[in-house]
Amino acid sequence: MLYINDMNVYYGSSIHAVKGVSFEVKPGEIVSLIGANGAGKSTILKTVSGLLRSRTGSITFDGKEISGYEAHKIVSMGLAHVPEGRRVFSNLTVEENLEMGAYTLKGNVEEVKKDIFSRFPRLLERRHQIAGTLSGGEQQMLAIGRAMMSRPKLLMLDEPSMGLAPILVEQIFDIIKELHQAGVTILLVEQNARKALEIADRAYVLETGKIVMSGDGKTLSESDDIKKAYLGG
Amino acid sequence: MTTVIGQLINALQLGSIYALVALGYSMVYGIISLLNFAHGDIIMVGAYAAWFIMTSLNSFLPFGAVAAIAVVFSILICTLLGAGIEKVAYAPLRSAPRLSLLITAIGVSYFLENMAQMIFGAGAKSVPNIISIGSFHVGKMTVSWTSAITLIVSVISMAVLTVFVKKTKMGKAMRAVSEDVGTAQLMGINPNKTISLTFAIGSALAGIGSILYCCAYAQASPTMGSMLGLKAFVAAVLGGIGSIPGAVLGGFAIGLAETLVSSVGLSVWKDAIVFAILIIVLIFKPAGILGKKKIEKV
Repeated sequence: MLYINDMNVYYGSSIHAVKGVSFEVKPGEIVSLIGANGAGKSTILKTVSGLLRSRTGSITFDGKEISGYEAHKIVSMGLAHVPEGRRVFSNLTVEENLEMGAYTLKGNVEEVKKDIFSRFPRLLERRHQIAGTLSGGEQQMLAIGRAMMSRPKLLMLDEPSMGLAPILVEQIFDIIKELHQAGVTILLVEQNARKALEIADRAYVLETGKIVMSGDGKTLSESDDIKKAYLGG
Repeated sequence: MTTVIGQLINALQLGSIYALVALGYSMVYGIISLLNFAHGDIIMVGAYAAWFIMTSLNSFLPFGAVAAIAVVFSILICTLLGAGIEKVAYAPLRSAPRLSLLITAIGVSYFLENMAQMIFGAGAKSVPNIISIGSFHVGKMTVSWTSAITLIVSVISMAVLTVFVKKTKMGKAMRAVSEDVGTAQLMGINPNKTISLTFAIGSALAGIGSILYCCAYAQASPTMGSMLGLKAFVAAVLGGIGSIPGAVLGGFAIGLAETLVSSVGLSVWKDAIVFAILIIVLIFKPAGILGKKKIEKV
């Protein structure tokens, strides 16, 4: 579904953040990218969704080359991105945030909204509340719900568990599993390597802009190197 | 008592013009953090557009028709000019430092003023009053239709703008882009289109303002926009730049302050008092009355 071939991303002229990364996400999979802070995980997602540009290579989504597309055109092709730090529109209400998620959707927005509200009853309770006043967990649900409003085929999540209490982390991962069961392909970026490997069909390990290891989630979580570096022994 | 009410009506008339202009300043600042110093000069162009129609068509058509054409033409010119300036001068600088953008805005302002001076000459042109229907009485008071219509038109424009920004899809997208351009793009919102629309709307309001200004002062001159623009800028800052109700509130407050100073015989101080207000706001409440303090997270 998503093929990334030889991605090289620079910040300015000297910082080489992503160094020749290639990987793929097959339809129906959950793929995790794990790695430490600054490994280039978020940069990869931003490049896929068109906010940043790769100097080389190609990004193919659903059979189409999308590496030259502007960000606002990529969403309507079925690729949604939940950015790091949630980034809900804090001055808009919960409902308006969801409507923005459906900006490119042709067809019945109300129906999709109903579907999202039934999946996230908490958002229904707070639909008229200003998003900036929600708790961290609620904001993350809103960010995921908002991305789901565009009815994506592939959902990219950037650090959905960041800054959340353990019980909320469980909830968010349950939501990701549910969305996956409902047929959405998922590309997950996480620092919480244990949870990310547990949920993933396959995973890639990034270190300073390069993929250093890959494999299925279970194998990786049993590997000694991974245990030592990411799972605390 | 009648003098007080009379002065109050003057204040409302002046204030609503400032408010219309301040809205454009505030909306543009809200969406690309630019103090568009060319905004006042758009009003000047609108005034010349009205003057041109009023003086060139009046011998062929009845007054009412000429006035109607002048209003539409002037608003249209302002809208196109505002959106055009954004495309030509500001859009190429989207990723440039904010200071470059600000300097460009000042450059555009000088360009428009000198262009007008070259075409129309440095002297003022007198613009026939478009709302030339005299006055009416409320009790013992005489109220000119110009004042009444200015206030009514401004209030309607602001109400329409508020509904647009709050309720429509494009309006919500505008708010989304002003809060977070990157995330708005991830929603599929085209930021360039949204920014153009913001300039167009702000400039259309300036166009309405230019017509109302001509009705009040009956003249157009190349530099008329600079002082008007600066005062509207003060109004926007006073209300809280980036805030729509703030711009309206600030506009009326500045109109009131200026009228008050003039009415007690200190009219030579009326410009000074406006800028004194700016200084006081910047010292004691830099975010303005309705503005939110922006906490920049690192």
